[in-house]
Amino acid sequence: MRKSIKVAFAGNPNVGKTTLLNHAAKTNLKVGNWSGVTVEKREGFLSYKDYDIHFVDLPGIYTLEPLSEDEWIAYNFIMKENPDVVVDVIETTNAERDLLLTTELLEFERPMVVALNMTDEANKKGIEIDSSHTKELLEIPVVKTNGRNGDGIQELLDAIIETAEAHSTPKAVKYGDQIEEFLDKIGEQRRNGKIDKHTLLKLLTENDGRNGEKTKLEKFYKKDIISIIKDERYAFANGLYREILKKKKSTARDITDKIDKIVLHPILGFFIFLLAMFLLFKISFDFSNPLMNWTEGLINNFFSPLVSLLLTKIGASEWLLSFFSEAIVGGVGFVITFVPLIATIYFMLALLEMSGYMPRIAFLMDKFMHKLGLHGKGMIPLLLGFGCNVPAIIATRTLENKRDKLLVMAMIPFMSCPARLVIFSFFAILFFNNPAVIIFSLYLGGILIGLLTAFFLRKTAFRGKLSHFVMELPPYRMPRMRIVVKIVWVQVKSFLYRAGTLIFAASVVVWVLLNTPPGIKNQSDSAAAYVGKAITPILRPIGINDWRISTSLIPAFLAREIVLSSMGTIYSVNVPNNKPDFHFLPAIEEQVNGFGAAVKESLLSLFSPSIKTLETENADSGLRNVIRSSFTSASALSFMIFLLLYTSCLATVAVMAREAGKKFALVFLGYSFVIAWVVAFVVYQVGSIL
Amino acid sequence: MRYRFGHSRGRTPVETDTIKTYPSRTSLKELQVGEAAHIVDFFNPDEIARKIEAMGLRKGKKITVLQKLGRGILIKTNNSRIVITSDVAKNIEVK
Repeated sequence: MRKSIKVAFAGNPNVGKTTLLNHAAKTNLKVGNWSGVTVEKREGFLSYKDYDIHFVDLPGIYTLEPLSEDEWIAYNFIMKENPDVVVDVIETTNAERDLLLTTELLEFERPMVVALNMTDEANKKGIEIDSSHTKELLEIPVVKTNGRNGDGIQELLDAIIETAEAHSTPKAVKYGDQIEEFLDKIGEQRRNGKIDKHTLLKLLTENDGRNGEKTKLEKFYKKDIISIIKDERYAFANGLYREILKKKKSTARDITDKIDKIVLHPILGFFIFLLAMFLLFKISFDFSNPLMNWTEGLINNFFSPLVSLLLTKIGASEWLLSFFSEAIVGGVGFVITFVPLIATIYFMLALLEMSGYMPRIAFLMDKFMHKLGLHGKGMIPLLLGFGCNVPAIIATRTLENKRDKLLVMAMIPFMSCPARLVIFSFFAILFFNNPAVIIFSLYLGGILIGLLTAFFLRKTAFRGKLSHFVMELPPYRMPRMRIVVKIVWVQVKSFLYRAGTLIFAASVVVWVLLNTPPGIKNQSDSAAAYVGKAITPILRPIGINDWRISTSLIPAFLAREIVLSSMGTIYSVNVPNNKPDFHFLPAIEEQVNGFGAAVKESLLSLFSPSIKTLETENADSGLRNVIRSSFTSASALSFMIFLLLYTSCLATVAVMAREAGKKFALVFLGYSFVIAWVVAFVVYQVGSIL
Repeated sequence: MRYRFGHSRGRTPVETDTIKTYPSRTSLKELQVGEAAHIVDFFNPDEIARKIEAMGLRKGKKITVLQKLGRGILIKTNNSRIVITSDVAKNIEVK
């Protein structure tokens, strides 16, 4: 019989809980070098020896006195869910701080394992913890681990099983004689046997005890009960730390302080921030562009003709051929072309997160943010929004104040995500001579609307004093390529998954509607055209006067990139079908050579100081040409603005409803539509005059 | 009246060998970049004070002010770096 064990990972923020779990359960949960990456409880499963281990990764918490929502999640789990084993993850370098939570966890007198993580970093700082002595003192397994290379994971798993099997509890925490005496008395007053220390302390703070124990204690210590307990805990944690610490000579100089002198310099720091953002965009474009052109070629000049050829050979009907070239190649294939861009931008964002720079941006920007009545810590969810709005909205859980939280949440959807970048890069290159300026302006425009929204809310619904903030800055760490690549792969996989499911389904529906009723000669008589024409009047003032575009916008509510796949499907019909002769072997050779050249060009682009890609006119494909005929520069710009601002993303609206309520999400959705329409209208009208 | 401290300004720091110390009650807010001091007490022991204590800013700990930007103050204690805003810093008594 296999046994199942439920294990919770608890610990201070940014001590490497998720990284350890990723090693232990072979999961790919999101990690980063800053406090608050994990804001919900995440799970992992592992079959190990005769056991099924169910891991639960909890948000980081400094003390069992929760203030923010993520801290409440961790607290409630530890209090109520009764895991079989709690793994207390300690960042060895900061063991002195972390031992407070350890002390609080020990009070529960439940099976527990201590993982001393990041021992390598601690050694360099001259800190070593005597793990066997710790084990003797606490009577629980203490394992040294290293999340960087997975050292100690095996030992940790064995310790978990051993503890769960034996149901061994730690040695009881002992506080000062006086308080212990009173706790005993309180314990005696309760009839039903053994009560853990945590509950006893809680009883002591909440009511006075039958004989006025609380009052007596407060009188004795000359301070309130909360302070008494707190000081006792610190005394215990400190004593423990002194016992188990083996201080050595520090071997490494503190590089973080040196970097911070420059990076957080009041003036220099700002320019470094701008430079970092410039590089992020430059590399995202220039590195990915040659690869994107290659992918497009691979799909259009290799994959598509190859499959068409095969389909013709097996005698597929005209119907199937058109379905393939329009819904699959035109729709799904079109979106897949953008994978290199998605991968590169996520790679750059992962570097930002793994290095430790990201929370520093929040510190740098608080100067401006708080003038606008915004919380500095709110900067982190906003930055995450450039990666994807959905996790960014969840990340607002780290904000302690409900008002700050809603305020930041109302800004996030205006932060342009890679899905929008995909659309911008397509339209900006197609219609403008200096697409870099256009795309950059769109990003800034989104930020500006976000700030205005916040400013407006601060003046109306969310008035009040700006709350304080407290935030830990991590040390700089060299991002591990293996982990960065993993993060990118998770994102690319989810993009491809969307392409294969949601985007595919949308393309099929659009294609079917385009061919309904069956046997129509003219596309504009189809059901798809009928629907598009119905909403065109709303969009005409912003320059969209073509049912093919209006129709594309409807399924795009599921996810923005669907606007491209839908347009691909619709417009594919109009692409002149001049099939060149397709020969398999030369085509493969051409693709391989092309790939080599693309990689070379991508790498070379890293050494040019300006944004190269967006200066050059792209090669015209058939699809580009037909789409071009539907827009003017002014309407293309207004179309991009509309998609930037309107929350055309089901996932974002859904997560907003979950985190802030249905009403908030729906009102916001309406607001974003109106603001998107108004801005697009103004830009289109002005642009048409110019 | 207990919580009125910490707003007093204008005292001059007394130089000792390594760190500057202050003659009477000073709040962390008043420290300049590069200055170090020890935490003495919290003027207002509320939940925020308890949280920053749990984060490592505890009584008796030596802290160094690494940077000040706007209302944010970056301080270092042991091996952790913590940003607090000045309204939190003014509640921390240092010596």
